[in-house]
Amino acid sequence: MTLAADPASDRAATRRRTLAVLNLLVRRDIKLRYAGAWLGYGWTMLEPLLMTMVYAFVFGVLLPTRDFAETPYVLYLITGVLAWNWFNTAVNEGMTAVSSEAKIVRSADVPRWIWVARTCTSTMMIFIFAIPVIVAFILWFRHPVSWLIILFPLGIVLQFAFAFGIGLLLSPLAVLAGDVKRLVRVLLRVGFYLTPVLYSLNAVHSRFGDYTALAKLNPIAGSMSLFRAGLWSSDLFAWYFYAAQVVITLLTLALGFWVFKRLEGTVLKEL
Amino acid sequence: MAPVIEANNLGIQFYRNRKRRISVREILFKGKSTSPKEQFWAVRNATFKVEQGEAVGLVGANGHGKSTLLKMIAGVLLPDEGSVKVRGGVAPLIEITGGFQGQLSARENVYLIAGLHGMSKKEIDAKFDEMIDFAELHKFIDTPFRHFSSGMKVRLAFSVVTALDEPIVLVDEVLAVGDSKFKQKCYNRLDEMMAGGDRTIFMVSHSERNLRRFCTRGLYVRHGEIVADGNIDETLDAYNAYMDTDA
Repeated sequence: MTLAADPASDRAATRRRTLAVLNLLVRRDIKLRYAGAWLGYGWTMLEPLLMTMVYAFVFGVLLPTRDFAETPYVLYLITGVLAWNWFNTAVNEGMTAVSSEAKIVRSADVPRWIWVARTCTSTMMIFIFAIPVIVAFILWFRHPVSWLIILFPLGIVLQFAFAFGIGLLLSPLAVLAGDVKRLVRVLLRVGFYLTPVLYSLNAVHSRFGDYTALAKLNPIAGSMSLFRAGLWSSDLFAWYFYAAQVVITLLTLALGFWVFKRLEGTVLKEL
Repeated sequence: MAPVIEANNLGIQFYRNRKRRISVREILFKGKSTSPKEQFWAVRNATFKVEQGEAVGLVGANGHGKSTLLKMIAGVLLPDEGSVKVRGGVAPLIEITGGFQGQLSARENVYLIAGLHGMSKKEIDAKFDEMIDFAELHKFIDTPFRHFSSGMKVRLAFSVVTALDEPIVLVDEVLAVGDSKFKQKCYNRLDEMMAGGDRTIFMVSHSERNLRRFCTRGLYVRHGEIVADGNIDETLDAYNAYMDTDA
């Protein structure tokens, strides 16, 4: 909105301001979530830990699959559940980022995508803060860690970008159409089972052969494998799958920004 | 020097039904959306320039597009037609309590809202006491905002937004609230802000007294179009004359 004599330095100032606002909002979220330090942390970890125990019981004890005989299945699960939890809350909250904060969105002239970026970043921080729990499980099972663990941060980047793109795409739609939220929640549940959270794609490959490639195009399957590569090198995909996931992610981001920009004016009227 | 606000053929359309909820279900099963499509122009063909230091009042009856115009200048509504250029930062006194969060304390809200409007933490630290002083809320710094009375909410919000050291001030009817003592304080604050002569103010009000007091120029908006632009007395006379014939 601001136009000064020197557009380049002005754009830099705007960018700085935008990042400062994003920083402010994320800090606020973190502070609210982890209020009371350990209590807040425990509360946040409660759901993923409980769900991990449930999945471990159902799929590790009741219906044990042979592939996990030597893998500490609980460790495999917790990495997957935490990562999926991040994606799930990022999409859910990103989708409602604009509508649930309607009043504040309507009152401040900041770039509107910031509200989606904020939920993606806050949920990412929750995932990052949960890493010590994964480390604790690694130590508990004395599971070997290979140098491939350096891929972990790449998984974070990939997953953030994909979740951000989806959030940008969905948040204006969720304002304009009332039932988008419900539809997306159903799709997310389907996505949970199509993504290798509870199982490894290697097991799928032994039964479905080359069709497994389809599952490997999923960017979240990609981030999942990058998170796990340092623990189970067999979870690593061939490089071209990651290339395809990056392309899909970039296309999602581009589509997300395009839809968001196009609907921004309409959304502001509806808030 | 370039004008600080430059509106060029500005226009925005709204749907006649306030909530136009489309649904995916409908689109999937019927192939189209049955939501009403009738639109009207809330503001149209608005072209004007405001120079630095001017004090402009927007005059017009309810629902004729004054606030909509102001919101487009503030950048919280986007025009469907034309454009508006604003040179310099804006302190928007529009729905001022809107961004405040009920569950956060007064202190946290000050940092959040002032931060959203572009103040750095250091600047807020420096001005914090002054803001609380002005709002007279010393005893309630750590009280959740939702427990405030509506008067207290407006006091805090007015105090925060007017502390923004921005060259352009947009005012939408906020002067109508609060008790008479605080109202007087707000007037004084606005007077102070205008004292230097280099701030630009753009005001929507139904109070002729306030308009004559603060503004030198008046824009008369009728059915979304600017029908008069001149000094504030002339504009108010034109408005009154029209309202009389209408009644």
